[in-house]
Amino acid sequence: MKSFAKSAITVVLDRLAEQTRTYVPMRDGVTSNFSPWSERRASDLALNSLNTTFSPKGIVFPQTERLYDFAVDGQRADISGTHAETGENILFGARACDRKAFAALDQVFLRRGYVDTNYKARRDGLTVIGRDCLQPGPFCFCDSMGVDPMGADGADVLLHETTEEFGWEPLTEKGQALTLRLNDLLTEKELIRPESAGCRLEVNVAGLPEKLRGMFDSPVWDELSTFCMNCGVCTYICPVCHCFDIQVMNNGSSGCRFRCWDSCMYPEYNLMAGGHNPREGKRDRFRNRFLHKLEFFQERYGSFGCSGCGRCLVTCPHSLNMVLVINRLGEVKVDAS
Amino acid sequence: MGDLTPEVQRIAGNLLSQGQVDLVLGWAKAPSNGQSVPACIRQAEQAGRLIFDQYCIHNLATGLLDHRDSSERIGIFVKGCDSRGIVRLAEDGQFPRERLYIVGICCPGMKDQAACDRAASGLFGETAGDSELAGKCRQCAHPNPVIYDELLGDQQPPFLNDVRFSDVQRIEAMGIGERGEFFSQIFSKCIRCYACRNICVACNCRQCIFDETRPQWVGRSTSAADNMMYHAFRAMHVAGRCVECGECERVCPAGLPLMLLNRKLIKDIDQLFGPYEAGLSLEEGARPPLSSYRVEDPDPFVR
Ligand code: SF4
Ligand code: SF4
Ligand code: SF4
Repeated sequence: MKSFAKSAITVVLDRLAEQTRTYVPMRDGVTSNFSPWSERRASDLALNSLNTTFSPKGIVFPQTERLYDFAVDGQRADISGTHAETGENILFGARACDRKAFAALDQVFLRRGYVDTNYKARRDGLTVIGRDCLQPGPFCFCDSMGVDPMGADGADVLLHETTEEFGWEPLTEKGQALTLRLNDLLTEKELIRPESAGCRLEVNVAGLPEKLRGMFDSPVWDELSTFCMNCGVCTYICPVCHCFDIQVMNNGSSGCRFRCWDSCMYPEYNLMAGGHNPREGKRDRFRNRFLHKLEFFQERYGSFGCSGCGRCLVTCPHSLNMVLVINRLGEVKVDAS
Repeated sequence: MGDLTPEVQRIAGNLLSQGQVDLVLGWAKAPSNGQSVPACIRQAEQAGRLIFDQYCIHNLATGLLDHRDSSERIGIFVKGCDSRGIVRLAEDGQFPRERLYIVGICCPGMKDQAACDRAASGLFGETAGDSELAGKCRQCAHPNPVIYDELLGDQQPPFLNDVRFSDVQRIEAMGIGERGEFFSQIFSKCIRCYACRNICVACNCRQCIFDETRPQWVGRSTSAADNMMYHAFRAMHVAGRCVECGECERVCPAGLPLMLLNRKLIKDIDQLFGPYEAGLSLEEGARPPLSSYRVEDPDPFVR
């Protein structure tokens, strides 16, 4: 298999970044993020960190995205400049959970009739270099959500990790193209691929979507949401959550329209034009988030709206999270009648 | 300090069985992973679920807001910082003292479960380990409850061992350009999840300015300008009312040092209109300095 020594990582990243912006896991103070590689920030490279604090979804679905500009002059309105970023990007070192999340976003933005042009431009331009996940962390539960930590799904190239080496396995045409660029840096080597230690945290989701159909009015939602503060942490750090709003920035007679992430936890998100709010209470909003991920998403797209990345397990101010919710929903007895 | 869990359970059980309160807010162990989490119980038989340990860091006072429209009587366990949160709510007219039975706990200092989890998860950059006192507790000057019906544990000395406001002074010493750069750097990382607002006991408005759309006071983009506006607005809205519980900083997923702004305002208000520290006692008719006016109030900044 083609491979390069881990010690040569900066050379490889330099080569990739020469032509294409290359997002790598980087430390950023107390957090970490996928950020563009530059020699200058070499000491922030966090290849050994497990997942990044913030998911890479912002690369294909930015938190704030300018759509078009406008200028008004009396009765005339000029619309100019769409701002879709069409450039090429490389995502280096994406683990299986985050790649599964991209697959979920693809379902939403590309696969059901309407094609979101901005998302498509970014997604088409992205080459994903995945990596084996040998040591899932204490909060990882991706394999319960149908993700194989060592799988190749969603990767254009898969990095096989050994102690000293990264094996380089191109899987798609995009992957082949990158291989050509790195050719002189890759050597042919026999690599023994270690096995993944697997996830220690497990949840049981068998039959859950079906069960949830009968649980809309269950008192368990009141119980579970008692200490939910209705902030948006879980939705914003989640690699799968994808709700957005389209807003206007007005500067007198000109301005721009932009898209920004929104959260189903916010009262304003649920507010309708006439002033009615169908999800008035926090219980209603909490229930919607989990039903969306565990029931509706499954019904519409055939997979869960959660890839088991574990981010919400460490960021919720009151330690509510996906695992706790799934476990509790599993315990509840539903009346068969 | 001995284990207070049996006392906590006994008191909660009695309050409920004697019908003194309708519900009790405290902490319990989450069944899924044994972590200490906020809990709400309504039956005396459930009192055995309650616990108190070094991970009961959450300020339960904010949770009272969910009950402000009911007439239920509530038993609540509070640490020093949480008790000031109760004063906050009462003084702001958001929750009547009469509906509460307050069990104060002299706080032995908390650890931050989330910070420990972050360190263990591999999800974060530099993080505090398990053995350390939580960041917010290292700044705490009032670990003992200031308002209570019953008090548990032995009086604790303040945990603050640095000079008070030394962090603020470091920022004050910066030139104006450097300071601007410092804060834009910080706030550029804000993802506007509003966790800091929603966890805050002083952010108790029914309709928050940041949720209004007609007009929209602060834009929803994560641009430098909108983020800065968000933080400046929030800091000014809690100025003189912030009880320094540190919850906003604890819950921020971006790890932003939010208490810097809050403490700057606490320091200035104390110097200009004080001596004043918010939420230290509940007095009939008392108002925070920025909600009241005295002829002799200094106004050198008004020109
Ligand atoms: S719901 Fe939580 S665990 Fe699932 S993908 Fe989103 S952040 Fe990760
Ligand atoms: S908690 Fe942190 S990231 Fe969230 S809105 Fe507040 S400062 Fe921003
Ligand atoms: S601003 Fe922060 S420290 Fe002050 S009361 Fe609110 S959460 Fe507590």
